[in-house]
Amino acid sequence: MTPPTTAAGAPALALNDVEMHYGFVRAIDSIDMHVMPGEVVALLGDNGAGKSTLLKVMSGAHKPSHGTIRVHGVEQSFSAPSDAAVAGIQMVYQDLALVEPQDISTNLNMGQEQLRRGPLGWLGFVDRRAMRRSSEVELDRLGVRTAPMTRPVEMLSGGQRQVVALARSAIRVNGESQGILLLDEPTAALGYEQTKNVEALIRRMADRGIAIVLVTHDLPLCYEVADRIVILNRGKKVADIPAAGADPDHVVGWITGSKASMYVEQAV
Amino acid sequence: MTTPADQPTRAGEPGDGTTAEEAVVPTGQDMPRSVPFLIFARDRGIFVLWGLLIVVFAFWSSPYFFKLDNAILIANAGALTALFAAGVGIGVMTGVLDLSLPGTAAIASCVCGWLLTHGHATWLSLVAGLACGVAVGLVNGFITLRGFNPIIVTIGTLSVLTGLAAVVAGGYTFPGLTQLEFMGTHRYFRIGDAGQTFSGIPAPVFIVAAVFFIGTIFLTRTRDGLRLMAVGANAEAVRRAGIPANRYKVLGFVISGLLAAIGGLVNTANVTEANPAASPAIIFTALTAVALAGVALTGGRGSLPRVLVGAMILATIANGLTIRGIQPYWATVTTGALLLGSLLFERMLQTAVSERLMSANLSVHAKQG
Repeated sequence: MTPPTTAAGAPALALNDVEMHYGFVRAIDSIDMHVMPGEVVALLGDNGAGKSTLLKVMSGAHKPSHGTIRVHGVEQSFSAPSDAAVAGIQMVYQDLALVEPQDISTNLNMGQEQLRRGPLGWLGFVDRRAMRRSSEVELDRLGVRTAPMTRPVEMLSGGQRQVVALARSAIRVNGESQGILLLDEPTAALGYEQTKNVEALIRRMADRGIAIVLVTHDLPLCYEVADRIVILNRGKKVADIPAAGADPDHVVGWITGSKASMYVEQAV
Repeated sequence: MTTPADQPTRAGEPGDGTTAEEAVVPTGQDMPRSVPFLIFARDRGIFVLWGLLIVVFAFWSSPYFFKLDNAILIANAGALTALFAAGVGIGVMTGVLDLSLPGTAAIASCVCGWLLTHGHATWLSLVAGLACGVAVGLVNGFITLRGFNPIIVTIGTLSVLTGLAAVVAGGYTFPGLTQLEFMGTHRYFRIGDAGQTFSGIPAPVFIVAAVFFIGTIFLTRTRDGLRLMAVGANAEAVRRAGIPANRYKVLGFVISGLLAAIGGLVNTANVTEANPAASPAIIFTALTAVALAGVALTGGRGSLPRVLVGAMILATIANGLTIRGIQPYWATVTTGALLLGSLLFERMLQTAVSERLMSANLSVHAKQG
């Protein structure tokens, strides 16, 4: 697909020669990768390949030992996830980080609560109705409607919760700038039908210009929604291929390490 | 079990070209009809229980039970429990079990008593007492933030505070604090000569009403209240949303400390004496009320009105049985049995709700209307 061009076609997120050491252990080793606006890049790799570490570097949870991160062409240095959030990067954790006893609207607005106008607002009173309304509008724009906004999250199914978590991040990044979403195993706990729905939502978010990095073990999901596949093996990037027409055997080979890295020739 | 209202036309592949209009699902009918009733029973059951108790006692302990004067008596008797239950309850809802509350109450009343007996103004003494509660909350909060278990921390502060209160009182008590009568035994809205038509409403009842009203509004209508509850349920989620969750954890301790100080001061006003001996028993009575109210110890759930009713149920049982001439220890037995029964009832409701939700197979947004 052709990504919409912003800032002279700069990638939404670009990592350049990023390394991360834990003591003597090199968790990720000179990784270059980028995501264009509206592009879904699947990040694959076996356990311990460095996916989580790379994701943590992108989300600002870890500061890389070496290398640069550019967001829309501007070099950034994150020392906390909140810095990344300011730059327009939102991470959806595997545990979703929802507040279960509270309702959908409160969860979507967490940290960005709308206060009532007038003196009650000065006292910190929230405008529940306005929050509900805007949540509904946002969910409609994403093309999802899970359940009434007043329903507590604990009464939602796993798929609905995933959708709420995804939508919350999508709403956050979709402010003035085109945002970047980092998804950690978004379908790990879901059944077939729910996975399909989450796939559709991811695709719709990308179509609205959000750049998405998807960490997953779910290969079918990755062929279904990803534009590009990046594969890590023992901390190194071993492949970066378009998802369309990717040979599943090759992909599995790269993941397990039985197939040689496509960068070996250049490196030697 | 699905409702007849939803027609499950499955959207085949919602992915390609699905616009907002197509993917929207009619909402509100995807839940079995019985679920709202079960939820109602779970959330409001305690009000029904209280109503039933009142009806039972109205007949069984007639004619003295079902009288306005007796209602006021019950409210006044339950006031102290209610105040401490509010402190324990808010603590539990925000994710901490604060066991130092009796100590906080003791130090607040002793500081207040010391100031009063040394000729300071009443308002100043009261403010100082309340400030003690806030300070204890801050200390508890900041120690707990270092990663220690709040239960152990507050047991520690309980013992420190009880000792300190005795130090303030010099090993004695502060008797004869009649300055506080306006918030203790005084009755307002008396009608008739010396209250013959209507004996008036005791001051603690007003204090309890104000505390629970403000507390409920705070927890359910304000931003800080919502965040406080959210921290109780999932502090990590709140932190990731960019909210300084630690601040709210401390706030939970501060509020429960403040409520304990109010409780201590009201008690002091009632008996016109500040006593440094903390009575840890009050925390268990308060916990009983909180548990009756179905406030989960895991935090993030519960409501103050229910806690109030929990405290009132305890007072109602004690009062009704006493009127009937039954030994007071039977009240404790009844309360305990009621608590265990309510636990079972809640578990049954919870199971029923989740079974119905499971069988309804609530799917995300694949059903089209």
